[in-house]
Amino acid sequence: MTTLTVTINGAEIVAEAGLTILELAGRSDIHIPTLCYVPGKPADTPCLMCMVEIEGQEQLIRACVGLAKDGMVISTESAKVVAHRIERLSILAETHFGDCKAPCNLTCPGQINVQGYIAHVAKGQYEEALRLVMERNPLPFSVGRVCPRFCETRCRRILVDDPVSINHLKRFVADWCMNHEIDLEIPKEDPTGKRIAVIGGGPSGLTAAHFLTKKGHDVTIFEASPMLGGALRYGFLEYRIPRDVLNYEINTILRQGVSVKLSQKWGKNFTLQSLKDQGFAAIYIATGAGVDVPLEVPGTVNPYTHTAMQYLHRMAEGKRPDMGRRAAVIGGNNIAMEVARTLIRQGVAEVTVIYPRSRVEMPAHQRNIREAEKEGVQFLLMASPVEICDAANQGARLKLELIRMKLGEPDAKGVRHPEPIPGSVNTLPVDSIVTSLGQTTVGEKFNGGPLEKSIAITINKTIDANVRSSQTNIEGVFAGGDAVSGPRSVIQAVVSARRAADNIHAYVMGREKEEAESRFNFTRGKGFDDVDMKNFDGIHLKLREKMPTRPPEICSQDFDEVKLGFTEKMARNEAERCLSCGCTAYDRCQLKDLAIQYNLNLNKTGMGTKPVYAKDYSHPVIIVDKNKCIFCGRCERVCEYEAIELGATGFDDKERPVGLYLRFNDNCVSCGKCVDNCSTGALNKKAQIIPIHSEPVQDVRTTCPYCGAGCQIILRVKGSTIIEVTADPKQAPNYGALCVKGRFAHEFIQHKARLTKPLIRKNGMLVETSWDEALDFTAKKLFDLKAMYGPDSIAGFSCARATNEENFLMQKFMRTSIGTNNIDHCARL
Amino acid sequence: MASLALSFGSGAMTNSIADAQESDVIMLIGSNADTSHPTIGLRIHQAKENGAQLLVIDPRRTAFADEADLWLQPNPGSDVALLNGIVHVILEEDLWDRTFVEERTENFEELEIVTAKYTPAYVEQITGIPESQLREAARLYASPGQRCAIYYGMGLAHHASGTDNVKSIANLAMLCGKLGMAGGGVNPLRGQNNVQGACDMGALFNTLPGYSGLNNNCAFERYEKMWEVKLPRRKGKAATEVWDAILTDDIKGLYIVGEDPVLADPNALHAVAALEKLDFLIVQDIFLTDTAKMADIVFPAACYAEKDGTFTCTERRVQRVRKAVEPPGEAKADWQIFCELSSRMGYEMDYADPEEIFNEVTQLMPQYAGITYQRIDKVGLQWPVPSLDHPGTPVLHVGKFTQGKGLFIPEDYTPPTELPDAEYPLILTTIRERAQYNFGSMTRKTKEIEALCPEAFAEINPEDAKRYGIVDLDEIKVSSRRGSVHLRTLITDRSQVGTIAIPYHFAEVPVNNLTLNSLDRLSRSPQYKICAIKVEKVT
Repeated sequence: MTTLTVTINGAEIVAEAGLTILELAGRSDIHIPTLCYVPGKPADTPCLMCMVEIEGQEQLIRACVGLAKDGMVISTESAKVVAHRIERLSILAETHFGDCKAPCNLTCPGQINVQGYIAHVAKGQYEEALRLVMERNPLPFSVGRVCPRFCETRCRRILVDDPVSINHLKRFVADWCMNHEIDLEIPKEDPTGKRIAVIGGGPSGLTAAHFLTKKGHDVTIFEASPMLGGALRYGFLEYRIPRDVLNYEINTILRQGVSVKLSQKWGKNFTLQSLKDQGFAAIYIATGAGVDVPLEVPGTVNPYTHTAMQYLHRMAEGKRPDMGRRAAVIGGNNIAMEVARTLIRQGVAEVTVIYPRSRVEMPAHQRNIREAEKEGVQFLLMASPVEICDAANQGARLKLELIRMKLGEPDAKGVRHPEPIPGSVNTLPVDSIVTSLGQTTVGEKFNGGPLEKSIAITINKTIDANVRSSQTNIEGVFAGGDAVSGPRSVIQAVVSARRAADNIHAYVMGREKEEAESRFNFTRGKGFDDVDMKNFDGIHLKLREKMPTRPPEICSQDFDEVKLGFTEKMARNEAERCLSCGCTAYDRCQLKDLAIQYNLNLNKTGMGTKPVYAKDYSHPVIIVDKNKCIFCGRCERVCEYEAIELGATGFDDKERPVGLYLRFNDNCVSCGKCVDNCSTGALNKKAQIIPIHSEPVQDVRTTCPYCGAGCQIILRVKGSTIIEVTADPKQAPNYGALCVKGRFAHEFIQHKARLTKPLIRKNGMLVETSWDEALDFTAKKLFDLKAMYGPDSIAGFSCARATNEENFLMQKFMRTSIGTNNIDHCARL
Repeated sequence: MASLALSFGSGAMTNSIADAQESDVIMLIGSNADTSHPTIGLRIHQAKENGAQLLVIDPRRTAFADEADLWLQPNPGSDVALLNGIVHVILEEDLWDRTFVEERTENFEELEIVTAKYTPAYVEQITGIPESQLREAARLYASPGQRCAIYYGMGLAHHASGTDNVKSIANLAMLCGKLGMAGGGVNPLRGQNNVQGACDMGALFNTLPGYSGLNNNCAFERYEKMWEVKLPRRKGKAATEVWDAILTDDIKGLYIVGEDPVLADPNALHAVAALEKLDFLIVQDIFLTDTAKMADIVFPAACYAEKDGTFTCTERRVQRVRKAVEPPGEAKADWQIFCELSSRMGYEMDYADPEEIFNEVTQLMPQYAGITYQRIDKVGLQWPVPSLDHPGTPVLHVGKFTQGKGLFIPEDYTPPTELPDAEYPLILTTIRERAQYNFGSMTRKTKEIEALCPEAFAEINPEDAKRYGIVDLDEIKVSSRRGSVHLRTLITDRSQVGTIAIPYHFAEVPVNNLTLNSLDRLSRSPQYKICAIKVEKVT
């Protein structure tokens, strides 16, 4: 064997002669990018990504076919090479058409893999769906009930009929897992020995505690109230989030091992300094925005005027302040709607929401306004309070003086502010008033010690923390959630806390924060107007499932939950409405990976804007989307059956194919090897509908359970679900080849017909029993037979599908415990 | 298996799957590897493409038959006559390997005597194969100096004369000296993932683990010492014999692990009658099979993806099985159930994990002695692996047979137990579909597989179809003396005239209600591949 010496990127490498540059580099772990490489089968229309620069040669050369020669000095990442690769990628990107991630996913503040969990629901994998949600959102029960649903506003299905009821599906999987007592057994990293204090046990504090505990930190939550939950408990009453559900959700987080100190008021029972003195390595402030902005009119101080948070808090604690027969709610935010609906439930006969602008300008979500109205809440719009007076027993306790409003002239920014109409004062007699004019984090300054007093506060009276680093102006003290942003949705608090947890983790471990996921994304259209309607050819109308809801006239009379949740059938139906916009090849797409690696700017290169080809579902196990094909030709060349014909009727000026065709001929045995080798998402497995983003996936190498060929397979496992099956081309005895069974026929593993409990025959019927009873009964029965008729009266059939170890034990059992050679298996059958 | 062990001293595939690439000639007999072992079938196709010559012996016109250099289409069940005929021609034309026979085999004279009468004319009478084809096949396989491999499947073994067929194959390979070399050998393709392992582990009525027969005192002593118990030496009953033993009251209790005889057994209705008569039936399975529905106790078992262990594939390669997910509900791995039950029966079995069991296996079985989980972590090893530094054995019988000398065991042709007659004029043969497996309990749970292969079709030759007035997709009733099934037809010349082929994967077409529980006298394998039937069009 002759050897040669080459230099690659400055490193000298000795290898045998006859290798291509690509092979040689690969052996030294130098990665040269390629989109079309198939060992031993060079492409006719190469991707040209593997071009490298050779010292002394003007032209770049293809590493996949160029042989390494003695003395070559090769550069795989020179400026010239990189420029070339970017140009090649640009040419490919320009016509590549599809969504990397779905719009719902991109719109969700939590960046939750929405399409993924919907797909799990469609497959009946509810546990896995919840696990996927929990990757990024530990509050699926609450968010599934109160989320403003940013995702649904961008759902492409809007262009067909209705958006998918995404949030109801999230709630469904959470409730299903609770009702089926599923423990997700979320893995926890090894203990770090770092203690972290979280001030506030609301959504933000619980979320941070969850993610920090997962990272192995020792977290203690300090909560001022006697119970955890914060806004989830004291901002939403039971009819929105039932207490048993909330307690279950909180316990799920605590079960991971979070310490909790209840009724601990910050500034009174502890201070930042005392926490530091106790050895907490970092402190996260998650106190929310619980301080009501006061109504500044005369007469607000009286026993019948409450602020929103005060009122809701007392109601949540089970106290029932006397609100009389008529109540006014001042303010138009979401909390005002909660107050109004709670007043109705408390039995207040007339509840009037007062707001100085029109209805569409109310900051509350229109959905919440509609629901309040259905339950009997009245709205007095374009009106503003001017004074509260004692009604002096004129049939009511208070007189609320109001002035009618009109919209003034536009200001510099073009906004029209309401102005009082002079002389339009009216009086509304009421028994009680609740004001909800917005919430802040703090009145003026935090109380406690010198550290508290030094916390920087914004003009909005929230904590001034860096949005990216979550750091306050005090070393080691972080803040997030509503305490920083002011009142926002629960999911936004979750996101803020998750980010804070990452920052705190990096801080206490003295590490750089993990790089954020790339925002690189091919899209079929950013806005609805950009989406070509041809995308929806062949999609039939199917309206969304209606959420079963108790009638407003009944549900407004108690505190039971209003929305009852989807049934399993409804959830499956609804999940099937998903158009699966995002690419199911997300985790394996090399075009995307290279585009990210080389910082490709899609705004500059452009991308495909409309579908040129219809998706092809005609193959039994494969879906073909030629709009994503980059003509790398790997499918055709890896196919060991010569079953694929890939071609084009012509080529454009940049040598890209036009009139692309990809056909499976009669030789196709549906082995699926082409899909595993596709460089983009042009080929997809019909059954693999779950896009995998950053979720951890474990590859388990094992042996195929079918025929005796002993093919080595790789089970790709996410949580407790096998997502797909692939094979390693380097592994004996099958070297990447599998049959249709080996790559596809594994759904039986998690099929609902699996036996889950021992069965025993009682009164002629097979009924479930415990292992103890089943084993004891069996042992006794076998013992008796043996005693009465001898050991040869018992026979055993072992199993040619069980393992060696099991077959060995079975025959050992028959020969030792029973004492017979009546042992056999189905080798002959 | 059983007969190959008699001939060579070892009953397994002599060579490796990858070996096909090194063969000059491949003889494929009674196997449609495309459907039964697709990835092995692929290697055979590729070997053919790369220049190997392909000799196919199969009553069915398989894809291999289509691309073969020579395809013999014998009458079903006439393999012994055909193979003896080939031996006859090889001897007559002096194509055999004298040196190999002299140095490495015994009983050659017997072979000459028995095969003397299998003249091409006599063979043609039985097999329907003309002399010219017979001679051509003999010359092709014998090809002196060439590497010639034989692959066979259940098409050869699933006969009352199955072991005779296999012995005849072994005779042929030894006569031509095609053993002990890469690219040659006698290669049975095992039907299930771990049949090889189940046999190796001694889940057999007539041997201890490692093929130590019940007369091997040495082995018994070793096992009894290790297991601290006296082991029974009385002959056990084969699975296929158990049913009669139940019906004659000799067997009262049956423990079935992972099998569904209600669907799988030949003359399945006979098995059902026996199951009904049992005093006590334990079934351990992953699904509530038809057999489990008849049980007194059902133990829920873990499937392959839910446990650790090893499988031994058809090329004797011992490979890891790894746990990927938890078993559903309270289901447990089979090994755990055996341990718990045995301990309750008073014989303590206490293993921490499958690896501990495996280490016991390697202490007891010389073939596995040098295998550890660590050694097979990345790539499996092919037994025998006698020591920790042994690299495994891709080719058996190099230079010497496992038992020293190879033994010629010539057999005479015996006709199939049941042949067509006036009342049942056709032959039924059972076949596999590529996308399905066994009785479908695993494969049929995947939607895409069902879409690919949703239904059992009776494959009928156009001539037969014409005779019975049947067209494609007609519903027919197929009956044997034992039972009947209803299904639709597929008219195809893949089926030989006079033979109807039906896949056995479909519970709704329980084709083993028709088959014959006539057993091979040595291995006790049933005759799945031939029974007499009649067809009626259902109107």
